[in-house]
Amino acid sequence: MLKLKYLLLWLSIGIVTIFSCTKDDNNGEVDITALNTEILQHTASNVCAASYEDLSAKAGQLLTAVNTLNTTTNDANLNACRDLWKSIRQTWEKSEAWLFGPVDVDKIDPRIDTWPVDFNDLNTVLASSDELNEEYIASLNEDHDALRGFHPIEYLLWGQNGGKTASELTVREKEYLLALAQNLKTLADEVKTSWTGGYANLLATAGTSGNSEYPSRKVAFEIIVDAMAGICDEVANGKIKDPFDAQNPKLEESPFAKNSITDFTNNIIGIMEIYQGNFAEDGKGLEDLVRAYNLSLDNEIKTKHGTAIAALKAITVPFGEAILTKQTQVQTAMDKINDLATTLEEKLKPFVQQYGN
Amino acid sequence: MRIPATYKLCFFLILFIAAVLIACNKYDTGYSNPDDEWRNGGKQTVFDQSSKAFGHPFPSLSETLKRVHEVGDIQFEATFVSAPAPVNPGLGPIFNNVGCASCHIGDGRGKVPGAGETSVLMLFRISRAGNDPHGGPNPVPGYGDQLQNRANIGIQKEGDVSITYHDETFYFDDGAPYNLRFPTYTVTNTYTAFPTDVMLSPRVAAPVFGLGLLEAVSDADILSRADEKDNDGDGISGKPNYVWNFTTNSTTLGRFGWKANQPSLLQQVAAAYNQDIGITNSIFPKESTIGQPQYDGLSDDPELSDSILYSVEFYVKTLAVPGRRNVNEPMVQQGKQLFTSAGCDKCHTPTMRTAVNVTFPDVSNQLIHPYTDMLLHDMGDSLADHRPDFLATGNEWRTAPLWGIGLTQKVNGHNNFLHDGRARSLMEAILWHGGEALNARNKVKAMTSDERNALIKFLESL
Repeated sequence: MLKLKYLLLWLSIGIVTIFSCTKDDNNGEVDITALNTEILQHTASNVCAASYEDLSAKAGQLLTAVNTLNTTTNDANLNACRDLWKSIRQTWEKSEAWLFGPVDVDKIDPRIDTWPVDFNDLNTVLASSDELNEEYIASLNEDHDALRGFHPIEYLLWGQNGGKTASELTVREKEYLLALAQNLKTLADEVKTSWTGGYANLLATAGTSGNSEYPSRKVAFEIIVDAMAGICDEVANGKIKDPFDAQNPKLEESPFAKNSITDFTNNIIGIMEIYQGNFAEDGKGLEDLVRAYNLSLDNEIKTKHGTAIAALKAITVPFGEAILTKQTQVQTAMDKINDLATTLEEKLKPFVQQYGN
Repeated sequence: MRIPATYKLCFFLILFIAAVLIACNKYDTGYSNPDDEWRNGGKQTVFDQSSKAFGHPFPSLSETLKRVHEVGDIQFEATFVSAPAPVNPGLGPIFNNVGCASCHIGDGRGKVPGAGETSVLMLFRISRAGNDPHGGPNPVPGYGDQLQNRANIGIQKEGDVSITYHDETFYFDDGAPYNLRFPTYTVTNTYTAFPTDVMLSPRVAAPVFGLGLLEAVSDADILSRADEKDNDGDGISGKPNYVWNFTTNSTTLGRFGWKANQPSLLQQVAAAYNQDIGITNSIFPKESTIGQPQYDGLSDDPELSDSILYSVEFYVKTLAVPGRRNVNEPMVQQGKQLFTSAGCDKCHTPTMRTAVNVTFPDVSNQLIHPYTDMLLHDMGDSLADHRPDFLATGNEWRTAPLWGIGLTQKVNGHNNFLHDGRARSLMEAILWHGGEALNARNKVKAMTSDERNALIKFLESL
């Protein structure tokens, strides 16, 4: 039979156990539903939709600059086009950290960013007597994505070896360049309109009844984290690793402008922008949810992100050269980006599965 | 008598152990692991219900093999361009698409073109009466056995196919109406005279995940379900296709494709490179245009290295199967019972076990739920393409796997099903079933609307 003092002991053990198992659901004063809703609203409109508005605006500027180049063909105007190409490319590469929704489903990505360029077909087009205008590009339909989008524009602006001068631009090339710039603007407008005209609202209202695209906020957060981790994988294990493993600079993605490392860096910068909800203007982002529950995870993500960016910036020569002569630098960059991916996949993903309600 | 405390202790200990053993005992007869139903692909199941759901590698792959999978993934995504070129050369001269992933978007299912769009996510097989030397379809002179509807700049494509639909209204037994759209295919814009007696078979791009597991099911297992003469009298036959295997130079069991006309993933991949993209390879080293005016005359064949061919074969072989959703919902459970009671499971076999494979343990001895028997069945005149393919008659199609089918909308943004994407929903796909499946189809027609909803909920949970 239990003695009274033991009863007391058992009782106290029981009480302590019960109390220690009670989870503090409120965690201070965080209203998780309101916070998560606000995060998704801000991410949808001020990160994703805003990036495509920016893309469209910059495509408009490039189109103007190409028009100027065509009327006054000189190196200054060529350089202006090149700068704008790099600028629009910056927006695009950042947005690849949130490559989901219309850009994926409506096949904007292949139409705008197909690689490699089909030189033979391009030469055939230039040598033909076809009128080269936007209708012509549109008529290529999906048959010839390798003849439109960023990379044919890059090829025409820089030339095969990057050293093209304005005087080398042929009349046909200028015609085609203008058509490409018009087409780029059309495509950028298409994805912008898809987001501003409805898709942003779907993401912002994740979890409300009838929203089959995002049946819950958790699904929305998972898709966001998958996209963040996905671009790490794409950069480290595709864009960098393929040319590196093959030791073949021809496999580089933006070889003519020698813009590859900038492209990679912008891809990774995009991850932090969507995490912090800070593309056009700073606001609530996934960061705020993580900081409410797990400061050390927030710290880990930022540290690893910073390290990955630093490793990319530490590559001292153009990418095509670096894979041959600076292999340690390239390997370090891949490792650090993969480190970041591991944290996103193995820690942030489970975190949003738990808290992204 | 007083029992010593030690004995008492022993007694209770034995009782305790016995209780634990009883509680943990597993019933072997008819027992199934409660988790098993969620795992359509056995240990190669991945739980992701996003648009990337079909694109994951087998979770069990070693680091080294995962790298091979990734190499294949990159090649699967690659865009080909016309030869000669520094990167990905060999596209065309005529083709259906520029790379694998251009049709198999997200490793998933192709969509039929909308009005005015070119058919880029589906293609058309063509042939005339008779057979080729291996017993396969008899190619059309000047065209081969596939119509390439795109070409490099300055090259003539073979032709287009225009698709028109007309709707007809039918009724469930409870009087609720439904529409089916009937396609008509017309070959247009051909580059040279097109014979009038050509048989045309439309095929949409099929999902490519889980194929390694289907390849790992033994021939004997598949044949054990065959019942060509319907000896058991259940109205369901189940016929194996035997097709020409270019790697063994012999006739072997067909497993893949809408008519089970490909014996292996390697041949499926190699044939797709050659016919769909115009990329020659060691298994199909001749351009599809050979003997036609579009032929490029370049001596660059094979255009694809074996290492790429094999890595892409490995990629599709090792794509994991998405796990199920909502298995325990009462409606899904009800739908599952209806699926069985209607007899759908007679061809859409829910469960198979892959053969033991010591050389590739990742696919070895897995309990999988593909919902296919991999056999041919007569599906009735309405669905027929009237174009034989090896032993498959014009009415026969291979039972399509249903695993992952509920994620089609998520991954591919549409709900077009069947070989030519004519069905606009899972229910329409069911209602198109005829021939051997007519009985099952009629049972579905006789269901109440609640039961029909439950059946669809079950399919969506796959």
